Amino acid sequence: MTQYILRRFLWAMPVLLGASFLVFWSIRWVPGDPAIAIAGELATPELVEKVRAELGLDQPLPIQYAIYLGRMLRGDMGTSVRSGLPVFDEIRIRLPRTLQLTFFSLLFAALIGIPIGVLSATRANTWIDALSMIFALLGVSMPIFWLGLMLIVFFALTLPSWLGLNQPILPPTGTGTWQHFVMPTIALAANSMAIQARMTRASMLEVLRSDYIRTARAKGVPEFSVVYNHGLRNALIPIVTVIGLQFGTLLGGAVLTETVFAWPGIGRLLVDSIGYRDYPMIQGTVLVITVGFVLVNILVDVLYAYLDPRIRYT
Amino acid sequence: MRTIRFWIVSLVLLGLALSACVAPMPAAEAPGAPAPAAGPKTLTIAAGTDIENMNVHRVTSSPSFSVLEHIYQTLFYMNPEGELEPLLAESLEPGEEEHTFILKLRQGVTFSDGTPFNAEAVKMNLEYVQNPDNGSAFAFLISRIQEIEVVDDYTVKLILDSDFAPLAAHLSHGALAMVAPSALEQGNDFLANNAIGTGPYMLERWDRAESVTLVRNPNYWGEPPAIDRLIFKVVQEDGARLVEVEAGTVDVAVRVPPAEAERIDANPNVDVITTPGLRTIYIFFNVTREPFDDVRVRQAINYAVDAEAIVNQLFKGAARVSDAPFAPPIFGYKPNPPYARDLEKARALLAEAGVPEGTSLVLYHPTGRYVQDALVADAVRAQLREVGLEVELRTLEWPQYVPFVRAPAGENQVQFAMLGWSTPTMDADYALYALFHSSEHPPGFNGAFYSNPEVDRLLDEARTTIDPDVRRELYAQAIDIIWEEAPWLFLYSEVQLTAIRTNVEGFIVHPNERLIATYADKK
Repeated sequence: MTQYILRRFLWAMPVLLGASFLVFWSIRWVPGDPAIAIAGELATPELVEKVRAELGLDQPLPIQYAIYLGRMLRGDMGTSVRSGLPVFDEIRIRLPRTLQLTFFSLLFAALIGIPIGVLSATRANTWIDALSMIFALLGVSMPIFWLGLMLIVFFALTLPSWLGLNQPILPPTGTGTWQHFVMPTIALAANSMAIQARMTRASMLEVLRSDYIRTARAKGVPEFSVVYNHGLRNALIPIVTVIGLQFGTLLGGAVLTETVFAWPGIGRLLVDSIGYRDYPMIQGTVLVITVGFVLVNILVDVLYAYLDPRIRYT
Repeated sequence: MRTIRFWIVSLVLLGLALSACVAPMPAAEAPGAPAPAAGPKTLTIAAGTDIENMNVHRVTSSPSFSVLEHIYQTLFYMNPEGELEPLLAESLEPGEEEHTFILKLRQGVTFSDGTPFNAEAVKMNLEYVQNPDNGSAFAFLISRIQEIEVVDDYTVKLILDSDFAPLAAHLSHGALAMVAPSALEQGNDFLANNAIGTGPYMLERWDRAESVTLVRNPNYWGEPPAIDRLIFKVVQEDGARLVEVEAGTVDVAVRVPPAEAERIDANPNVDVITTPGLRTIYIFFNVTREPFDDVRVRQAINYAVDAEAIVNQLFKGAARVSDAPFAPPIFGYKPNPPYARDLEKARALLAEAGVPEGTSLVLYHPTGRYVQDALVADAVRAQLREVGLEVELRTLEWPQYVPFVRAPAGENQVQFAMLGWSTPTMDADYALYALFHSSEHPPGFNGAFYSNPEVDRLLDEARTTIDPDVRRELYAQAIDIIWEEAPWLFLYSEVQLTAIRTNVEGFIVHPNERLIATYADKK
């Protein structure tokens, strides 16, 4: 097992190199000049040239790439074009915020989504099933942006006015207390919850039809144990895969939630940086997101072995 | 069972690890609790964007200056009425020698770290901005200053390459505010994260992408402000900002969308205030290209486009139809009768100029740079169709758009294009020279390639004339010619809508987009 994990880490290296290559070249294909972004739209062409030289953008691209890789290997992610502050510092401040939000919303999604899926599967084709799946459909199709704003309006304006309070039940935006987590977590979880519920339902339906489930029931195993110990455990593999993928996606993809709730995460940092053509910041952020994705994938693969002892890595 | 236990344990561990790797949070206030009546007063402003960094000489955006101008002060202050007031300077008078100015400084001012503000500090700051290595985007404001001499502790002699009337107005720009020499000496990394100025507030903390908190400067030389603590909170999303101000979790919210202004204003606890802006939105014609080389075509388009309808429909009145090439708060403003919509006249002018029905034109416009820019371009397209002109719209992303419209003569592909111009110095020189003087053809900002020797002469003369009344007259003459020759399709100037809780008094929204809380109080 240890050997397998080590090998996976070694394999991650070319993935990271490939990602750095892709992001480096693709942002340079996008028209637009960071030198103008930094020098200001009023700048003279001479100043723009000077800034370009300072940023090293006057060098041929392969040389720029080599310089970039060299710096990365020394752990230097460069300096943001927009703020003039080190890229590493900005990411160090924002990454934990994103990780927290992603973690709590996936946890929340799993705690609600998986039981709903199980319930749906065990009561397949009843009204409970229909209701659960309508709920899931809503979750998948509701725009996060809209849901976020509705939550804010509800908890900050509507509910307090019903209750006759003159202050919000939950703080509308920002960070700082556990209350700040509630709305962004719900908004970000809605989609994942729905997908997990549908995934669990499908996977459980398949498992519940297996022979060993019939055997377990025939032996007189209590129904709860049949469903959760025998059924769910075997149905978990695809669900874990989906949760892993969602974790990776949310690392960089929580932009909308972060924007609505003024949550200073890494997704917003990335999108803002693209607008400014802040090359070092884009490169740094994408790299960090890639590392996150790779790590989660390795973790998911390792989990498979724990979930299903038949899976062995050599 | 082993699996489930494993899951639970690993989830809890991961959760703990995540919580541990986060910086300690600021002391938690009850969510949205308004500041208590007694005790320290806090004013919270929901801004749309975070500040770039703390270096006032390097930042370029209004939100950054709004924060930093509470910490740093300029030599002169341009008040919202467009009048210059001395601030850290007492006066700026022409010197005895040619092209020199004598700057007298206010005495008894100290920086928040206790070091004195004096002539040496002024020299260090201006030289810092002029030094190209420091990358100050506003260095051009003082590019005419050739030498800065310290005469005595409170007198500075500025030697220019020619007389330059708007000098004091330029020195009122936030980018030329005075930073403590003790801070300048510590270099750009220090300046990006720290702020030591002479202003009424000091930096308490900056939580990047979240908020900047300022506290009252106990050693402030002027009247101490009533508000103890100022928080600039970053809330990008328009809807969320509005909810915050309605719920009372912030006291001020910037950039109210025009469509929401009426609803918010109806809330008894919130007022929406309207402030004229300094940015004028226009479409310039490339006057060196057919058909825009004919003044009749340019006038015809001005008659064909209904700027008033655009302002009323798209902006719900939250914009001002242009009656000059720049907005009223700016020195030198002189109104002209707007080109009211007259389709008959437009058609007649086009026919006279020999432009046939169905002529195709290409209009370039930015998307998302100015409020509703793409919608305005589309309205112009639709209105020009009514006089038989087929306009194709093309848009580029902003970083690409600027070099495109500023491409020099040989490479320039623009027929007509939309742009906005803001005049932060509130002086006509800034508003006209770069846009209409023939020396400013692209890569300058005279994208129209407009060239009129009389306008050049008037602008040159106004630039070097000290007497404000004479200057005003020179600008009025230049504006008349420009209005008549119509190198632009004159559209509108922006208006700022700001939501403020009714218990806040004395809060200033400056035409130059600065938010000023120094004179504010909370009931």
